[in-house]
Amino acid sequence: MTGVKILSSRQLAGRIAPAVLAVALAAAGCGPSSPGFRLNTDGRRPAEITQVQQQAIAVALQKLFGETDDPNLPDGVDLKLALLQHAAGAVRIDTAGNQLGLYRQHCSMCHALTGDGAGSTASVQNPYPRDFRQGWFKYTSTAGGAKPLGKDLERILQQGVASTAMPAFNRLAEDEILALVEYVKYLSIRGETELYLLQLVIDEDAYLPLDMDEVIEDGVLPAAESWTAANQMKVHPAAGPEDPSQQLLASIGRGRELFLSKEAQCLQCHGRRGNGRGDQSELYDDWNKPKKGSTPQQTRLQARLFRLPIQRLRPRDFTRGVFRGGSRPEDICLRIHVGIKGTPMPAGGPAPGTAGALKPEQISDVANYVRSLSR
Amino acid sequence: MSRELNRREFISRGAATAGLAAASLRSPAGAKASAADGWGELTGRFLYDGTPPQRKRLKVDKDVDCCGKFDIRDESLMVGEDGGLGNVYVYVRTRGVPVCPELVQSVEKEVLLDNRDCIFMPHCMKIWYTEQVFHIVNSDPVAQNVTFSPLGDRPANIILPPLPAAAAEATWTFNRKQNVPVPIACNYHPWESAFILPRDNPYVDVTKMDGTFRIPKLPAGKLEFQLWHEKVGYLQTPRWSRGRFTVAVKPGINDLGTFRIDPAWLVKR
Repeated sequence: MTGVKILSSRQLAGRIAPAVLAVALAAAGCGPSSPGFRLNTDGRRPAEITQVQQQAIAVALQKLFGETDDPNLPDGVDLKLALLQHAAGAVRIDTAGNQLGLYRQHCSMCHALTGDGAGSTASVQNPYPRDFRQGWFKYTSTAGGAKPLGKDLERILQQGVASTAMPAFNRLAEDEILALVEYVKYLSIRGETELYLLQLVIDEDAYLPLDMDEVIEDGVLPAAESWTAANQMKVHPAAGPEDPSQQLLASIGRGRELFLSKEAQCLQCHGRRGNGRGDQSELYDDWNKPKKGSTPQQTRLQARLFRLPIQRLRPRDFTRGVFRGGSRPEDICLRIHVGIKGTPMPAGGPAPGTAGALKPEQISDVANYVRSLSR
Repeated sequence: MSRELNRREFISRGAATAGLAAASLRSPAGAKASAADGWGELTGRFLYDGTPPQRKRLKVDKDVDCCGKFDIRDESLMVGEDGGLGNVYVYVRTRGVPVCPELVQSVEKEVLLDNRDCIFMPHCMKIWYTEQVFHIVNSDPVAQNVTFSPLGDRPANIILPPLPAAAAEATWTFNRKQNVPVPIACNYHPWESAFILPRDNPYVDVTKMDGTFRIPKLPAGKLEFQLWHEKVGYLQTPRWSRGRFTVAVKPGINDLGTFRIDPAWLVKR
């Protein structure tokens, strides 16, 4: 018989043992089986990116921010590592009985491990889960294009986002909510750094190896500081308590006039009747705009460079009575005052550098009118 | 070509040159008489090598009663009567370039964007973000909107009601430089478009309709420049990879001459 080798039992053990060991190691989480951050080069043609460049970006991000299981904070980033460690890593319970791996448990299937909003369930959602990497958050209480406050993100986690796939996590303990908010900020700062590195390394052909001090100063710190600076941009909306009397009716009347006026232009998108059927033909939010080409054919080609297909944006139909950022009077006032970042909905209230198209009382009137449209 | 330039080597040489130039500026005897000594000026001209296509009429379907009366055309390719290619950005790409102290005094304190006749004027702007403020005005009789999202900086999306409202004017500050111009749009009037390039030095110019540009008071030494045009982004040519070129700037005028830009180079691949 040719081709069959009879091995002694010792030889056999010598061959099987390493294979068994490798399987055991992989099962234990050492090596490629633990999930890592993946680089998102959205919008760039693969031909534009070399292996060396990808590697340089991945290594820089890893040095600065660590791994999905083991977050790291560069110097100067004002976040609490303990909270990040609570949220990061595999889903497990520690010896004290605390649930760990909160982000992976509650968030990553939609928002993905990197927070780029292209998780495994994202493609069937409309709207898509939030992409944290640009640092644009829709429902905020800060003016001047500033980042949201921690409280704004906490509210979203507590109440969810109505009429979207984002659920309310009000069953989580307060410290768990805080840990997740901190982790979202971490992913956002990491994401802004990734976008900065993509431009620096690929578009701007930076010399490699990168100067990490320069990356921290030019890329990481501006992103990190913008979160702290947001505290200075908080807006206090002027909404008063509900007042079912003549005053409210008068306010609604004034609000309607402003809504239809040339000063505010609300009807352009929201329509004369506030049902979202304004003149605007095709609207896109800032996450989807880059997918749009100048012709339909170009859009189809362009869309191939992104993980998720292009998605149109519909102006809010107020007659449905659904308000994604919250339906309290002050929530609607905030949407009008600071706008909805990342979308065509502009800021109408006073902010640094502008007296505001609408005064706070006028914003309150428009908010009352908008709420009165719900059927 | 650009890869020959060692960035660190340039900074030390550039700083030395600037140091010499600055020293000559500070010396009492030479201060007034030779304020321009040591500083160079870059000039040049771009010509569109062909017949430009007719500028398309843009779809004006909002606020037609106000905006419909204007002949609003596409501004993405502006060629002057004598073939000059306008709206090409030319800017210094070299990091940490020393800035002539005189420019800090002489620069305009603000860069103005006017919403007028239902378009943005001017179409292309530059701003030295540490020294200048972005001043936006609405001169139209309807509310306008200005929106832009610079990478890594605060996004803007503000309503400008018509005069005489106080909010018909607004100011904005940029917090960091950008490597490419930032597009500006209007959510109410989608045909409107403009660009602004925030940099951390004043060494930027945008070619006029005759195709000429001028960047004064550059430090002498090897500097890398970037060309950018809204049709293609980096203005790549067979001679300049990614629209970048290096000039050994000498004190005085450095005229690059006239360059013919092939229309094919302005088509996005």
